[in-house]
Amino acid sequence: MTAGLPQLPRDALGLGLRIPHYADLFAAWPHVDYFEIISENFLGDAQPPRRHLDLVRERYPLVLHGVGLNLLGSAPLDSAYLDKLCWLAEYVNAPFVTDHLCWTGSHGLSHHDLLPVPYVADLIGVAAERAALVQRQLGRPFGLENLSSYVEFQTSTMPEWEFYSGVVKQAGCWFMLDVNNIYVSSQNHGFVAESYLSSIDFSRVLQVHIAGHAREPNGTIIDTHDHPVTDPVWQLYAHAWRQGGPFPTLLEWDDRIPPLAVALAELGKAAQVRA
Amino acid sequence: MSGQHFPAWLADFQQQFGDALRTPLGRDNRSLRAAVETYDPALLQLAVPGAQLTSAERLAIYNRQYWFRLFTLFHGAFPLTTRLLSHFTFNGYVSRFLETQPPSDWDIDAALRGFEQFLVQALLVGTVPIEGQRAGVARPAVLQAARIDAAFHDVFRAPAVTPFHPGPEHAESLFSSRLVASPAMALLQEHWPLCELRKSVLTDPAETAIALSAPHSEPRFSVLLREGTKLVLLPLELREARLLTLLSELPVGAALAKLEQECSVEEQPTLPANTQRWLARSVELGLWVGLSPE
Repeated sequence: MTAGLPQLPRDALGLGLRIPHYADLFAAWPHVDYFEIISENFLGDAQPPRRHLDLVRERYPLVLHGVGLNLLGSAPLDSAYLDKLCWLAEYVNAPFVTDHLCWTGSHGLSHHDLLPVPYVADLIGVAAERAALVQRQLGRPFGLENLSSYVEFQTSTMPEWEFYSGVVKQAGCWFMLDVNNIYVSSQNHGFVAESYLSSIDFSRVLQVHIAGHAREPNGTIIDTHDHPVTDPVWQLYAHAWRQGGPFPTLLEWDDRIPPLAVALAELGKAAQVRA
Repeated sequence: MSGQHFPAWLADFQQQFGDALRTPLGRDNRSLRAAVETYDPALLQLAVPGAQLTSAERLAIYNRQYWFRLFTLFHGAFPLTTRLLSHFTFNGYVSRFLETQPPSDWDIDAALRGFEQFLVQALLVGTVPIEGQRAGVARPAVLQAARIDAAFHDVFRAPAVTPFHPGPEHAESLFSSRLVASPAMALLQEHWPLCELRKSVLTDPAETAIALSAPHSEPRFSVLLREGTKLVLLPLELREARLLTLLSELPVGAALAKLEQECSVEEQPTLPANTQRWLARSVELGLWVGLSPE
């Protein structure tokens, strides 16, 4: 599966590639172990994204992170979408590709959000079969990311982490573990975040995401990616590192995006936290 | 693609959840709120309430996220139109549009398709009354703004193109063929200084409606084109703009003849030289991508 593919250093630090950083990036080409791109931003035929991508892929390893696979959608996977994703993975020679363990649309509509399902055993088999198919078709490691969520369902028969581990194990794919999402969901649903981590087989973790979030006046935490990483998330990250490090770590910053230097400084904190 | 299928209940669940997500936000007192009272009771039963939020309030987070993600997309693609109308009024149009044409593609940008035409219908025919709509905003200016916003969006996102350079091999067929306009260019017409206004709103985070400057004494014409990964706006002479428009619509020979007919007697002596110059410039700028036999 990984023969001939580039490998990231196991302790690599990466940043989500975002348009507001292009000017600073193209001016100085600072040291970053790797960048992660949102797959869908580069699947179309618009020329400027492709030209920017070419500039970056010549200089940095790139991994792909998708938001549109719709793995848990009740409709079959979109084969045209998957073909494009395979093309992009090949084009940038991605060490791995990730997306989310969620659904994003149904009945012919796309909701453009990462949506949860009831966690029940009879979804695991099909989800795993689909994830395995995606990984086979990509010809490279495929990781599934855990969601941040704001709602749980009465019909769930197992905690999210059991469902998540079940799908990854049965599919033979990988965890794309987002510790900020674990923290957000733990606060919104009242579980112990460290319990989530203890269920994870870190030998199957492709990458860990860190990000900022926002707390609403009513106490709900929204996964906004518009702030620096909070202290509790850093603590959870340190816990994960002690439990299963090293693993590649990536900072996501998607809104109120600061200058590149600020984002890189935030990413650099990861090295300090785990030292 | 996948051999195995999910259980039938998943489709029902996703239908219910999707319906809640897409529930239009209420527009009370110039603010938007999730209309939780309209959610399917079966879905509300399924969602687990928490210490701080009811099950409806939990679902409402997704409902708001759905709409605000799309509003943000439309604000980004139609920044000038948004600010001429105000965010609140513009959101009303977006909401009405997406109620009839919800996103169906993995590419969120595809949700924008057809919005300009919807807005034209809504504003010209007045079939889509929007609560809180500003009285007195010049509808023609809004329509022109929408055209300009759409042009900026489409030109930037056009695929890579190979400019057409006519050679001796085209001499025979040129006059009877139509020049194919590059998707990476657009001809713009302004009766108000809208492009300038558009530039200013890009750095202004306010959500209120902006005032429209006085109209130009004569309409201004320009061509928007992509150079590398940048957009460039170049002013056009009146007749040059007319020639480019005619060339986009008619075979070259017919376009030149029509332009000649439209010119005044005073313009006629310089028309051949000007036409040569404008044609050469259009080729040099890469405004055409080929010849299409009529």
